[in-house]
Amino acid sequence: MIADAATGVALALRGEGDPYALSRTLRQGDALALAAIRVLGADALAPYALGHRAGPGGEDESVVREALAAYPPGVAASDVSVWSYRGLIEASHAFLNGGADGWPRPPEAGAGWIGTDPWPRLSHRASQLAALALPGLAPGLAEALAARTDDLSRGFVRAVRRQDWLQAAGLGRWLARLPEVPPTLGLDGGLAFVRQMSGGDARVALHVVAARRFHGRGW
Amino acid sequence: MITDRTAPAESVTLTAEVENLVDSAEPDAVFRDTRECGGGLLLLGLLLISPPTPRPKTDAR
Amino acid sequence: MTGGRGDPALLDRLVGDGLGWLDGARASFRLPPDVTTDADPNTTLKPLGELAELTELTRTAHPRREIRERADALFAFAWQETGEGELFAELIRGEPRATYPVELYGIFAQAGLRHAAVEELLVTTTGLRGWRVAREDHTRTLGVLNAERRIGLPRHAAADAEFAHTGLGLLPEPWTLDRKAAYGVTHDVFHLTDWGRARRRLPAAHAGYLRLWLPAWLECWLEEQLWDLVGELLAVTACLPDAPYDAAAWQRLAAAQTSDGAVPETGTATRSADPAETFLACYHSTLVTVFAGTLARIAATEAADGPAAAGRPPFESEAAP
Repeated sequence: MIADAATGVALALRGEGDPYALSRTLRQGDALALAAIRVLGADALAPYALGHRAGPGGEDESVVREALAAYPPGVAASDVSVWSYRGLIEASHAFLNGGADGWPRPPEAGAGWIGTDPWPRLSHRASQLAALALPGLAPGLAEALAARTDDLSRGFVRAVRRQDWLQAAGLGRWLARLPEVPPTLGLDGGLAFVRQMSGGDARVALHVVAARRFHGRGW
Repeated sequence: MITDRTAPAESVTLTAEVENLVDSAEPDAVFRDTRECGGGLLLLGLLLISPPTPRPKTDAR
Repeated sequence: MTGGRGDPALLDRLVGDGLGWLDGARASFRLPPDVTTDADPNTTLKPLGELAELTELTRTAHPRREIRERADALFAFAWQETGEGELFAELIRGEPRATYPVELYGIFAQAGLRHAAVEELLVTTTGLRGWRVAREDHTRTLGVLNAERRIGLPRHAAADAEFAHTGLGLLPEPWTLDRKAAYGVTHDVFHLTDWGRARRRLPAAHAGYLRLWLPAWLECWLEEQLWDLVGELLAVTACLPDAPYDAAAWQRLAAAQTSDGAVPETGTATRSADPAETFLACYHSTLVTVFAGTLARIAATEAADGPAAAGRPPFESEAAP
C-alpha cells in the first residue's frame, strides 16, 4: 500500500498518468490507506507542490484530515514521528488551499538532536524526514540541517556503502535542497546511482524524482 | 500511540506499525566489494616469470 | 573529529604494546634460506619489508625515546635479515624487471643503509627503457617513484602526472570507494608524502577532500572491523594539515588490540594454535597501528608545541637528488 502510494506520487511528479488526486490513489475509508498517508507524510501531497493546488473541502482534504486524526503521535512518539506529522499538517496548509482553520495544531517537535547527534545518527533521522525537503516546508529544520551539510554528505557516503538505498535517497533529497553541498560528493550522479542500484524501490524512486523535480538535482 | 483504550487490537497494531515505518531502525549493512575477474589468466602468466611483488598492504579478500 | 592534542597516553600504549608483540614475533619475520627462489614472497619478503617501512618512522620521529629505541632495534633486525643489503643484489640479479627489490631497498637506503653492489646494479636496471614500461597501476608506480627518490635514482616518470591518475588524484565520488579502492587511496597518500615524512606534498584540494570524507570511510570500516584499513585511514588522517584527531575511532582500534599487543586484521582475535597463522593474521594490522599511532602522536605534539618540536630532519625534506 505504501509502495503503491509512493509510486502514484512519483508518477505524478514525473508528469505521467492522470492528474494527481490522493483520494483516487488510495481507497477511501481503508485503514491502511490512512496509514499510508501518515507514513508518506508531506509527500502524500507532493504533486500539489508543483502548482496545481487541490480545491478546499475536497476529498483529498477529508482523507488527510482522517489520517491526521487516526495516527497522531502519542506521548512516547519519537521526534522523527512528530516532525513527520507536523510535515503533513504544514503540507496541508500549503498545498490544499484549505487555510489554517480546522486543522490539528502542529505539535512541538524536538530539535536538539539536529545540533547534537553524531553524524551517522543525524543522517538516519534526517533521511526519514526527507518529505519535509519539499520546497517551503519546515524552513527552520532546513536551516538547522544546512549547518550540518558536510555531516549529511558523509551520511550519504555511509548509506551507499551499506547499501541502505532508502537512507541514501532521503539524504540525497535533503542535500538537493541545501545550498552548499560539497562538489566532490557528486550528488547528481549519486542520486541516479542510488535509484538504479535500489532495484526499483518505490520510496527510493519518489525521493530521487522529488530531488530532480523540485531542486533540479540528479538525473 | 493511540490513547483510546477501547480501540480494537488490530488498530493498536497498525498504529505501532505506522510508528515503526515513520521512524524505523537502520537496516543491517550489506557490504560488497569488487571481485577481481578477467585478469586472472594474465596474472598467472606473469607469476611464472616473476613472483608476485609484495605490496605493503593487504590485498582485498 | 577534533583537532588538537589527541590522547598521547592511549597512542603510546598502542604503539608500545604493538612493538612488544612485533619484537616477540621476530622468528616469524626471519627469511627462509630459499627466499630468493622458491619461497612465497608474500609471506616472507612482504612482512619483512613492512616491518622496515613501518618502524622506520617510529625509530626516527617518535617523540618518546624508549619507543624510538625499540623501533630502531626492529629496524636493525630487518636490515640484518637482508644480509645488510646482500639480499637485494641477489633479488635484482634474479628478477631485474621486478620493482619490489627496489621498493624494499629504498626503505633502507633512505635510512643511510646502503649496499655498493646493489647501487651499481640499480643504475643499470632502472636506467633501461624497459624500466619505464607502464606498471599495473598508478598507485604502485607512485611507490616505485618514491623508492627511486629515496635511493637517489633518476625518477622514471613524473610523480605529479602519475598521481593525477590515481584513486585519490582523481577525487572520485567518495561513495564509490570499496575496500580495494580505499587501500589505494591510503597508499596514494603514503607514497606521495613519503609515508608521512613530507606531508606538504599533498595538494590542498586533496587534503580538503580527505578531511571531508575520511570520517565517513572510517565509520564504514570500523563497522566492518577491518582493523588494518582503519589504521591506514587513521594514519592518513594524521597526515593532514592541522590533523584532526578522531578519539572514538582510536578508542575502537585500541579495543581491538589484544593484551599481548597484537591487532587482528579483522574482527576479534581468534587465536590459532599455529603461531604462523596467528602471525599472518596479525602482523600487518599491528605494524599499521604502530605507524598510525606514531603519526598521530607527532601530529599531537605539533599541535601542542608547534611544528618545530616534532619536525625532525626527515620531515618535509624535499631533497631530491
